[in-house]
Amino acid sequence: MEDQSKGVTIEQVRALLSTALQVPEDQITPDLAFGDIPQWDSMGHMEVLMSLENHFSVEISPDTITDLVSLPTIYDYLQVNENA
Amino acid sequence: MPNTRINITPHHLIPAHLIGEVESKLAYVDETITKAVVQPAGDQITLDLNSPANQDDREHLVRKIQQVVDTMAKGGFKPKIQILEDYLDRPIAFHEDPTEQLIEHNEINQEANGVYSLGPLVAGLVDYFESRFLELAQSFNAKPYRFPALIPAKYLERVNYFRAFPHSLSFATHLREDLDVIDDFAEHTICDKHGALTAEKDSFAPIKTLLSPAVCYHLYFAIADRTLSEGQITATAVGNCFRYESINLSSLERMWDFTMREVIFVGEKEFVLSNREKAREVVRRIFEEFGLAYKVESANDPFFIGEFRKQAAFQSAFQLKYEIRASLPYKSSTLAVGSFNYHQDFFGRHLNISLPDGSLAHTGCVAFGLERMAFAFLAQFGLETKTWPVAVRSSLS
Repeated sequence: MEDQSKGVTIEQVRALLSTALQVPEDQITPDLAFGDIPQWDSMGHMEVLMSLENHFSVEISPDTITDLVSLPTIYDYLQVNENA
Repeated sequence: MPNTRINITPHHLIPAHLIGEVESKLAYVDETITKAVVQPAGDQITLDLNSPANQDDREHLVRKIQQVVDTMAKGGFKPKIQILEDYLDRPIAFHEDPTEQLIEHNEINQEANGVYSLGPLVAGLVDYFESRFLELAQSFNAKPYRFPALIPAKYLERVNYFRAFPHSLSFATHLREDLDVIDDFAEHTICDKHGALTAEKDSFAPIKTLLSPAVCYHLYFAIADRTLSEGQITATAVGNCFRYESINLSSLERMWDFTMREVIFVGEKEFVLSNREKAREVVRRIFEEFGLAYKVESANDPFFIGEFRKQAAFQSAFQLKYEIRASLPYKSSTLAVGSFNYHQDFFGRHLNISLPDGSLAHTGCVAFGLERMAFAFLAQFGLETKTWPVAVRSSLS
C-alpha cells in the first residue's frame, strides 16, 4: 500500500481517530490519549493501530502498539516516517 | 482410521509462532473434524473428518479453513516473547507419559470428554499444591473468598467475554417450570448412543447462566459499580473453571472442568504490578522446593479467531500475561500450569470500579491450574513416590 503519511495533518489524524474509535471528531481533543475516553480502551487502541496500518502502512509491532498511545505521538510518528 | 482425510494449502503461510494457535482453532470450524494438524512449515493443513464429505461440503469446509488462516495470520505482527525465568534444565528422571499408568492405577477416570475424577494419589498432589499456593496467598495476607461455579450471562457480556472466547463457553440451564414438560422429561428422556439427552430443545429454559470460566471475575463483579473505600483488595479463592476445548481436550493436560487457585489484586497500577512481581519471587521459591523444571515467559490468552489478532497483539505488546510453563519431558514440550496476569484498568473500566481518588481500579491475578500442576509433576517424577522430591513426599506422608 502506498505510504500516505507525507504531509499528514493533525486534522487527518483526528479524523482517523474519530473513525477508528467511532466517536464524533469534537471529542478528539489535541492531547487525547489511550484511556482518556471509554472508546479508547484496549480494543479501541487496536482499531486505531489497524487504521494506521491500512491508511499509512504503519507496521503493527510491539513498539508501535505501546508507543502510539496518544494523538500527539501518532502525529509525531507519522512526521518522522515522512522524513525517513 | 478417519473416514476422510483432506489436505489444504493455506493462502497465507502460517508463521511458526501461530501454528499452535491456528491448529487449536481449526477444531471449531466444523463438527466433522476429528483431528487438525498444521505442518511445521506452515504450508499445509491436514484434516481428519469423521464422515465422508461431498464436493460441496468439502469446498465449503476449505473456504472456512482459509478464512480462519486469513483472519489469524494476516499482517506481520510477531509477538515479543520474553523469557523471564528458565529452569528447564533441572534434572528430570522420568520421561514417560503418565496418563496410561494413571488410568491403570485408577488414579484418573474419564467421565466425559475433558471431565475426570481423580484417585487418592493425584487428589493428594492437588491438595499439596493447593496448600503451597495458599502459602503464597497468605504471604500477601489475601482475604479468602468463595465463589460459585455458575456465573450470570449478563456478567460475562459486560466484560466482552462472548466476543473474546465464544468457543470455550459452557452453558447451564434447567427444565422450564411447566409440569407437562417436566413430566414428559421424566417419563421419556434417555441418553442416545452419543450420550446426548433426547429431550426436545424447547424443554429447556432460556440460558441466563453459564459455568464460570475463571475465578477472579467473581470478585470484580462483586465490587462492580462502586468506589473501593479501602483503596485496594488482595483476595484469594479456589474454584472449578470450565473451558470447552473440543478435540483439543486431552487427559489432565487440557480439561473442560478444572480447578484454579487464584490470588487477586485490585488497586492502583503500581500496587497490582509490584504484587505481580512479588508473587513471581514467592512462586520461584516454592517451585524450587518442588524441583520442577519450568520457565516463565510472556504469553497471550487463546482468543477466538476474529479477536485473536487484535487482542493477542495488545496483550503481548504490553506484557500483560506471563505463563509458568512446566516441562513435559515425554513430548519435549511445556505445559502452562499457572500465570501472572495484569489486566490494566480493563475490569475497572467495564465494571465501573473506582478508587477513592476517582481513578479507575487496575486488576491482576496469579492463577494456578491444580490438575495441570499435578500432571506436570507426575510427568517429571512418575508415580513412584520414592523418587519424588523430599518436600512433596514428606508433606503427603
